[in-house]
Amino acid sequence: MTLLAVDDLEMRFGERLIQTGVSFKVEKGSIFAIMGGSGCGKSTLLKHLIGLLRPAKGSVTYNSVDYWRADEAGRASLRTGFGMLFQSAALWSSMTVLENVCLPLERQGRLDKAQREARAREVLAWVDLGKFADFYPADLSGGMKKRAGLARAIGSEPPLLFLDEPSAGLDPISSKKLDNLVLDIRARTGCAVVFVSHELPSLFAIADDGIFLDADSKTPIAHGSPRVLRDTATHPTVRAFLAREEPPPPAAQSAPSP
Amino acid sequence: MPLTPMHIASLLPIRPVVFLGQVLISAFEAVLGRWQFRLKDLGRITADCSARAVPIVTVVNVLVGAILAFVGAVQLVKFGAGIYVADLVGIAVAREMAAIITAVVMAGRTGAAFAAELATMQANEEVDALEVLGLSAVDFLVLPRVAALLVMMPLLYVYGCVTGLLGGMLVAGGMLDVSPAAYLDRTLVALDWSHLGLGFSKSIVFGALIGMVGCYFGLYAQRNAEGVGVATTNAVVVSIVGIIVLDAVFAVCANALGI
Repeated sequence: MTLLAVDDLEMRFGERLIQTGVSFKVEKGSIFAIMGGSGCGKSTLLKHLIGLLRPAKGSVTYNSVDYWRADEAGRASLRTGFGMLFQSAALWSSMTVLENVCLPLERQGRLDKAQREARAREVLAWVDLGKFADFYPADLSGGMKKRAGLARAIGSEPPLLFLDEPSAGLDPISSKKLDNLVLDIRARTGCAVVFVSHELPSLFAIADDGIFLDADSKTPIAHGSPRVLRDTATHPTVRAFLAREEPPPPAAQSAPSP
Repeated sequence: MPLTPMHIASLLPIRPVVFLGQVLISAFEAVLGRWQFRLKDLGRITADCSARAVPIVTVVNVLVGAILAFVGAVQLVKFGAGIYVADLVGIAVAREMAAIITAVVMAGRTGAAFAAELATMQANEEVDALEVLGLSAVDFLVLPRVAALLVMMPLLYVYGCVTGLLGGMLVAGGMLDVSPAAYLDRTLVALDWSHLGLGFSKSIVFGALIGMVGCYFGLYAQRNAEGVGVATTNAVVVSIVGIIVLDAVFAVCANALGI
């Protein structure tokens, strides 16, 4: 079942083209990676998917409903179907960790106050932050903030989860723990995950499918699982990225994308 | 090339006007009971711009009252009219100085804090996280800040009047041997409700201005450290200039109305 379909998306900031011709689908239960070098528009693409930025062209469709053709009420309804972990966790600094996790549940409107708090504590225990519910974000380490942000994103059990560079700034062990947590969440809830990353270990560990954005051509240049692309990609930029090598000079990049 | 309406329109400050409209709509919704912000946040912000502002408002207004009394006394004594220092300080503090000085202090303190806080939230993507939930930054972040200042500025103005008069009384007592009772008696004769009403009205308008300017520059700041600094500076400068401009408008209107 296709939860998210992106068709011929074009992203611009004013006249400046970021990416064009972006098309992919995310199936229920899959983990989809948005890959590419720094500055190619990965996080920008994610912001287009969650409705923070309007595309210059193309469509973003959730369960066959075009997000940008829906009215405000329709878009609000679609947004209840996904959770988002921002790169910096984006925890609201004036609220405790528990209040951060409770606010999306309050917006959802399905649970009363006691139920929201119980659910929030359950999710925090799941990400191993049960003892830190009454802490403020400033009192947490980087890894703890990421886990708190993840708890906030999954509290309402969304069928679709968006993660922006979840491992950024984390040490290798914390990064591995977060990867395992994402796999655990997928196993428990069956949600689909769309994540942006340029961390190779995470890409190889958890992604089932993906798309590779190129900053030079401003188009996607590869589709597929990172593990498969590592062995089969013919585009030199993709090969170099996934092998963690210097890319060849532009004159040598004549191989077509797979 | 002739100027078309679109060219002219592109020069107008559309974004601040749109922001003002959003705040007004949000305020209207809140009055109808449909506010989106947390009451806990409103309480926290109100405490920060009231109780915690009292010390600096006290010091500044006492000193302003004292300065007015000192400058006035030096001249009035030459005419044997030293007691009229009470009139001078009372009217000046009530009509102008308490509202303006308190507003300038709050612009530098609270307006800057609003701008810095919201700019930092923008840089940390906290505002984006609210928008993903369908919460408007104006409803959730701006309105409680503007509401807090709308309520607290008049109270701080009244407090500023009292402390300003106190400063004047101290100087009058020290320089002119005017007893506190005589000073207060003279002040009550000189002051009437029009002076206090004018100052009170100014404080409400200044409070709204400081809140909205601080929040505007914070929300539209660049998402980096420099952006936070620029937003804070702009918030303070524009607020202070706005206070003076609005005070001039009040002066013209008061003169026209004979207040």
